[in-house]
Amino acid sequence: MRIRCVDDLLSVAADGPADAQAIAAQLLDTGEWLEVVPGIDSVVVLFDAALLDAGVAQETLRAQLENGVVPLPESGDIVRIPVVYGGEFGPDLDELCRKLNLSQDDFVAMHTGCDYVVDMVGFTPGFAFVGGLDERLRVPRRKDPRQHVAAGSIAIADGRTGMYAVASPGGWNLVGHTPFALFDSKAEEPFPIRAGTRIRYYAVSADELDA
Amino acid sequence: MTITVLKPGLQTTIQAGPRVGWRHYGVPAGGAADMLSLALANRLVGNPWNAPALEATLLGPTLRFDKAVAFAVTGAIAGVSLNGDDVPLHETIFAKAKDELAVSATEIGARSYIAIDGGIAADDVLGSTSTYLAAGFGGLQGRALEEGDLLITNPADCPLLRTPDEFRVPMSSSWAVRACPSFETSQLRSGDELFEKNWTIGRRADRIGIQLEGATLEIASDGRMPSAAVFPGTVQCPEVGTPYVLSVDAGTVGGYPRVAQVARADRHLLGQLRPGDRIRFLRREAAGAIDELRAKLDYWQPWLEDIGNII
Repeated sequence: MRIRCVDDLLSVAADGPADAQAIAAQLLDTGEWLEVVPGIDSVVVLFDAALLDAGVAQETLRAQLENGVVPLPESGDIVRIPVVYGGEFGPDLDELCRKLNLSQDDFVAMHTGCDYVVDMVGFTPGFAFVGGLDERLRVPRRKDPRQHVAAGSIAIADGRTGMYAVASPGGWNLVGHTPFALFDSKAEEPFPIRAGTRIRYYAVSADELDA
Repeated sequence: MTITVLKPGLQTTIQAGPRVGWRHYGVPAGGAADMLSLALANRLVGNPWNAPALEATLLGPTLRFDKAVAFAVTGAIAGVSLNGDDVPLHETIFAKAKDELAVSATEIGARSYIAIDGGIAADDVLGSTSTYLAAGFGGLQGRALEEGDLLITNPADCPLLRTPDEFRVPMSSSWAVRACPSFETSQLRSGDELFEKNWTIGRRADRIGIQLEGATLEIASDGRMPSAAVFPGTVQCPEVGTPYVLSVDAGTVGGYPRVAQVARADRHLLGQLRPGDRIRFLRREAAGAIDELRAKLDYWQPWLEDIGNII
């Protein structure tokens, strides 16, 4: 196991996103770290250097992982997420469909036609990187990122669907908007979507948003 | 009692302690960009170190108190006046009903901290009342103060205090901060250049990140680094070779090489860097940086007993 130390940070290598999420979950469970942050192929923990020496922190981390990492259980329930596609709710859908040579109905059928799994949550609060996008919908990020993307935006880029839980700048292609609360600061679980969550999208009309 | 915002200043927000334990959901630490100065201000009015206070950026606000209350201003070197008369930084000031407090443009340093006896009522989100502007939560409706805003406080009475000279954070236009080589420092073709140059703070210097100017680093990166965790104080260098330092509100993962990490002991100084300032990174290895952190904590302990939580 390769652990590297930089000031009050320790980084441990992972074999891809699922392994990183599993390592992070195992480390979070110990409650011994100030922060545990999974990346795509690594996990970084922040330790309290006022109390812990780097060497002790490193050995503690090693001990917590040396008996192996339990893969995250596949989450059983599918979270169904309503999406209003296109128009003002998905301002990039029109152009995207032209580029991909699809009708908007084709796009919606493809995007709602399969199950997805959340690979990672983060960057901004609750932003979900959702894997499993139909390969025919693979497009790069926009060359000119937007300064403001609204909370609830559903977007695609680089073979994934992204869900904006809070407003932020963003470079993904906006295809729709969901009324589903991706962040509720007052809820017991403020972020209902987590790594490993299975997701299915379904189309709703703009009228249904207020209903 | 209420405080009326007569002029909001350039960007004045309610800031308190950091959000801890939510980074794996993408929630940054946030909180005062210069946490040490926040704690010093709160100390002078008898508040807990992390009580919600005002963080003013480059140009401070003008406020009116509707009742008598004590306040204190710390951080950047700036002019502070009460009804037009100068009052000192780093001292408990007792205002009367209808008094007006004005904090001028900062002369040295970037951020002023205004603590009010009793703290300021603010939205608690995920364990902190700090304003997170990018996502629009915490503080006062998740935004910077605007003219006409009313702030609510509940003063408790406090004695007159002055920050002893040795516990005033020295302000400068020319900074030296300790930093460790980081996880991708080996990708720099001249690894020492980052630590040997005098850098200039660029025009972008905010709560998210601080641009460094003065050289272009050569980096062996194809722009496909898998996204990995970043923290306040992480120095990233994209392929174009112009590095920047992440601050308290930056995103929690990034795809650019992490070429240095500002040591925990000096991270609070990031909140005082302003465009045009000079900065040098003093190279430290991890063990040395931690020894120095503990020495700094020991130094501050007599004035701020919670220093181990503050910086």
